[in-house]
Formats: sequence, structure tokens, C-alpha cells
Amino acid sequence: MKYLVSDSPHIRGKRTTRGIMLDVLIALLPATVVGCIYFGGAAVASIAISVVSAVAAEVVFRLIKRENIKDILLNFDLTSVVTGLLLALTLPSQAPWYVPMLSSIFAIVVVKMLFGGTGKNLVNPAITGRVFAFIAFQSVMVSGWLAPSIGAISPVAASGASGSVSTGATQLTSMLGGNGLTVSDLDLFLGTGVAGCIGETCKLALLIGGIYLVVRRVIKLEYPVIYIVVTGLVACAIGKDIGLFVPSILSGGLFLGAIFMATDYVTSPHTRVGNWIYMALLGVVTAALRAATKIEVVSFAILLMNLLVPMFNAYIRPRVFGAPSFVKKLKVKLAEAREKRAQKTDKEDAQ
Amino acid sequence: MTGQRFKQISLDGLLRNNPTFRLVLGTCPTLALSTAAFNGIGMGLAVTFILICSNVLISLLRKAIPNAVRIPAFVIIIATFVTIVRMVLDKFIPSLYESMGVYLPLIVVNCIILGRAESFASKNKVLDSALDGLFTGLGFTCALTLLGIIREVLGSGAIFGYQLWDFRIGFFSSSAGAFFVYGMSIALFNHIYSKIENKLRSKNFEARIMQKPDIGEPENELADQAEEAQNAALQTAPDQNAPTAAANAGHDNGGEA
Repeated sequence: MKYLVSDSPHIRGKRTTRGIMLDVLIALLPATVVGCIYFGGAAVASIAISVVSAVAAEVVFRLIKRENIKDILLNFDLTSVVTGLLLALTLPSQAPWYVPMLSSIFAIVVVKMLFGGTGKNLVNPAITGRVFAFIAFQSVMVSGWLAPSIGAISPVAASGASGSVSTGATQLTSMLGGNGLTVSDLDLFLGTGVAGCIGETCKLALLIGGIYLVVRRVIKLEYPVIYIVVTGLVACAIGKDIGLFVPSILSGGLFLGAIFMATDYVTSPHTRVGNWIYMALLGVVTAALRAATKIEVVSFAILLMNLLVPMFNAYIRPRVFGAPSFVKKLKVKLAEAREKRAQKTDKEDAQ
Repeated sequence: MTGQRFKQISLDGLLRNNPTFRLVLGTCPTLALSTAAFNGIGMGLAVTFILICSNVLISLLRKAIPNAVRIPAFVIIIATFVTIVRMVLDKFIPSLYESMGVYLPLIVVNCIILGRAESFASKNKVLDSALDGLFTGLGFTCALTLLGIIREVLGSGAIFGYQLWDFRIGFFSSSAGAFFVYGMSIALFNHIYSKIENKLRSKNFEARIMQKPDIGEPENELADQAEEAQNAALQTAPDQNAPTAAANAGHDNGGEA
């Protein structure tokens, strides 16, 4: 009989990073296609530049580190493609060519590779790339939102801005600024006539991608649901108006962030309970910051919470096999306390 | 003062103990004033001047200042020179005075100056202290100017106020960019520094190996001790010339034989 000596883990799943990333890419496909239809050639160019420069940045960085070119190409996990694509989807379509390029190079080189490559990054590269773009090119990112070529199906007010192609504030900023929405909830859901990033406008496409990920068991259903619902509820609580629930979850980049970015394996807690708390806190932070700053803050909220993930992992640990569960431990402690009290009363009685 | 000592002090101030990249002192003015190259030079030269003057005065008074109250005494000396520099700048270069703002009076509590006073000037002779002040200040100036150039070129597309192009990345002008550029520069500086240091060390080591008559033979204790002393000397001063060190080692061994 032949014995093999090996380190743990001894049993491995069939899933590879490349396979999961391929699933994410497929899930992003509807949003990408819709974004390209809505925003035209500029969006296609922006996405292409972002993806190409992300991949090139990773390959060049590894070449500088004197890694074998054959090794790089054979073991290429698609993470940098996903990063590039996600980053492009969070940028406005008319951003000049250097915005997606520099942001994705920043995302790959500074956020991912300098920390040790795939799986070692502290924060989500795509989110941080977007935050970089936001700080670096404020003129482009704050005021230059372009409405899609397909106008609103049912504009609420008869203002000319909603139907025509125009640059201006997104629906979210106008809502947070107290000006109210110019389109209906259905338009928000479909993204028609809603100014915004390439990938965030059509919630239907994002939902289709999310359902695909859930079916393929890449992400768990409850994580994005907790994030989105808590954001909506806190927004209602802050605005003291239950009617705010639907527009506040449907506007801005919440769906994109909740489905594709907050659920990133590397930058979310390891345990299920940890993830529930993480997503709920994300929702609170997002809604509160939105109310405080009057701009879209999903990316900042995720970046902020990413930095807290090591703390989640330190305090919320998976139960060791065979050890008593949390509930059991609590029961034992309660029983002990009861016993003590009983003893005390016994003594008092005796006295 | 020997040439060796001069070399040691100058290299210490500029590279080995570079206040910005190696000691990471005086970070507050570094982050705040490296937005433009000219601000960096101005700040660096002001600090250099104050550093030389305070080092000289503290070195002169090092036996008169009681140990228990040395920090207040140092701060008073430094504050005197800072006040002089403020008045001079206000009178002659008002634009620089404006742009440096609150960071100019804050030089009083700059840890580079207090650090050099505490660790060097209060223990060394006047000339040595003056040189230490000069080279530490120049090290600080070079670092600030370098950071200023990087941030000015990337953040506002200009160099020393001269507009190069219209392309700007606002990130590098912001404070987040300051931390980013500063951190990257520290990493790069220390990477290059350790590479050079390793090379020098291995060169010294090879030179010593070559000089030994035969390695297999066990050496006596005295020779070993001499060797160790040489090693220590090499480690404290890696810039020492390899051939001289090797020749010295060879000479010692020969003497023992």
C-alpha cells in the first residue's frame, strides 16, 4: 500500500478562482450589455480601456517581479478582468480615456499587487479604484453624469431634463438634495432616463446577474438582500417617510455594490453570522452617509467597512468542530448563574 | 576633525539617518508642505538654518544645561531661532511666509530639530554638531523637494510654479495623495538603500575572505577578537573603503602570525 504525505487541506473543492471569476463575469454580462446600449460607443470604449489596462497592469507588474511569462499566462485567474469591468461599470460613460485607465492601474497595482496579489488585498480593488477616480478627477465624477439615450417611460414631472440627453445630477443626488425625483420607480428600476454610471442604472440587469450568482452558489442570497433592505429601512427612518424605501434602494449604485462588490470573498468576513452583521452595518453606514453628505456613498461605505473586516474575523470565529455552540454556552452560563443565586438565597434562608 | 568623521556625519544626515525617509520624523510639515516643490525647498532651508544654529548653541551650552531641564532649554533655544526666521521671511519673502502659514511657527516643535539636539548636539563638539545640522537639514530639504516635485507635476501639471501641461490628477494635491506619495517614496528609498547596503556588505565580506591566508586552519583567540572588532566597525560604517578594511584585517593577522 502506498501512503501519500501531504499538508492540509487534504480535500479540496472543485472550484477554482478562475471558475468563480468566470461566473462573476457571466453575471455582469447583462448589466454590461444594457450599459453599452444605454450609453453607446463611449461606454464600450471606457469598458475596453479599463479591462485592458487592468490586465496589462497585472501582467507587467508580475513581469517586473521576474515571474515567468508562461506561468503568468497559464495560471491567469480572471480577477483583474473582473476588477477592470466592475470599475468601468462604476464610472460615468463620458469620462475621458485616462480616467478608466489610471483608475484601473491604481486598483490593480496599488490596491492588489502591492499587498501581495489576488486574495491578499485589504480592500476591494474596483471600489478603491472608483474612490481614486472620485478624488482624482472630481470635475468628471461629481457633475458630469450623462442620461442614457433611451428616455424615461413615465416621467413624473414634465421637466425637460428627464427625457433628453443631458448632463447633470443623478436622480439620487436630486432626491437627497430635496428636489424630488423626476422619474417613476419603474424608470429607476429599468434605468431608462436615469443619469448615472454605465453599469448601475438598469437594476433589472443587475438583478438577473445576482440571481445567476445565487443559483451558481457563488454568493448567498441573504447577503445582498440584508444590505439593500437595511439601507432602505434606515433611509426611511432618517427621512421619517416610508415612501422613501423604494426610491432610495433603486437609485444610485446600491444594487451594483450590494450584489457584486460587498460580497467579494477576499474583503468580507469569513463566517455567515459575521457576514450578516457586516451587511447590516454596511446598510446603516450607506444610508447614514448618504443623508449626511448628499452624494452617492456606496463605494465609500464599502471601502470603510472593508477595513473593518479583519476585526470581524478576529471576534466572530467559526465554531471548532465538537465545541459547544454559542447558544449552548449561554445556557450553561445561565444555569450557573441560577445555581449561584439559589445558593445565595439558601444561605440567606439559613441565616 | 578627520575626513572619516566628516564623511560619516554627512552620509548619516543625507542618507543613513535621512529624517524623512529613514527616521520618519517631521511628517506633519512633510505631508502639508510638499504640495509644491518651492514650498518644500523653503521649508527645508528654514529648518536647515534653524537646525544649524540650534545645534551650535546647544552644543556650546551642553555642559551648562542641567540634565533635568534640558528639553525646555532646547525648546527655548529653538524657539528663538524660529522667531528670527519668521521675522526675516515675513519681511523679505512674504509669499513664502504666506504659503507656509502655521507650519513655520510649528518648526519649534519639529521633532527633527529636537531629535538632533537630544541625540547629537548635546553629546558632541560644536563643529561636529554644526555639520550634523547642515547635513540633516539638507537631507530634509532634498526629501521635501523631491516629494514636492512629484506632487506638483502629477497634481497640478507644473514644476516650481512653471506650468508644464494642463493634465492634472487632483488626487496628488489632496492629503490622501500626500500620504500615498510619502509612503511610496519611503518604500522605494529603503528598497534602494538596503540593496546598496547589502552589496557593500558582501563586497567587504568577500574582500576579507580573499585576504585570509587559509581558512581551514583554526585561528587563535586574539585574531578572532580583532576580526570581530573589524566586523563591528564595518557594520557601523558600511561606507568604509573595502580595500582599506581588508588591508587592516590582513595586517592584524600578519601581526599575530
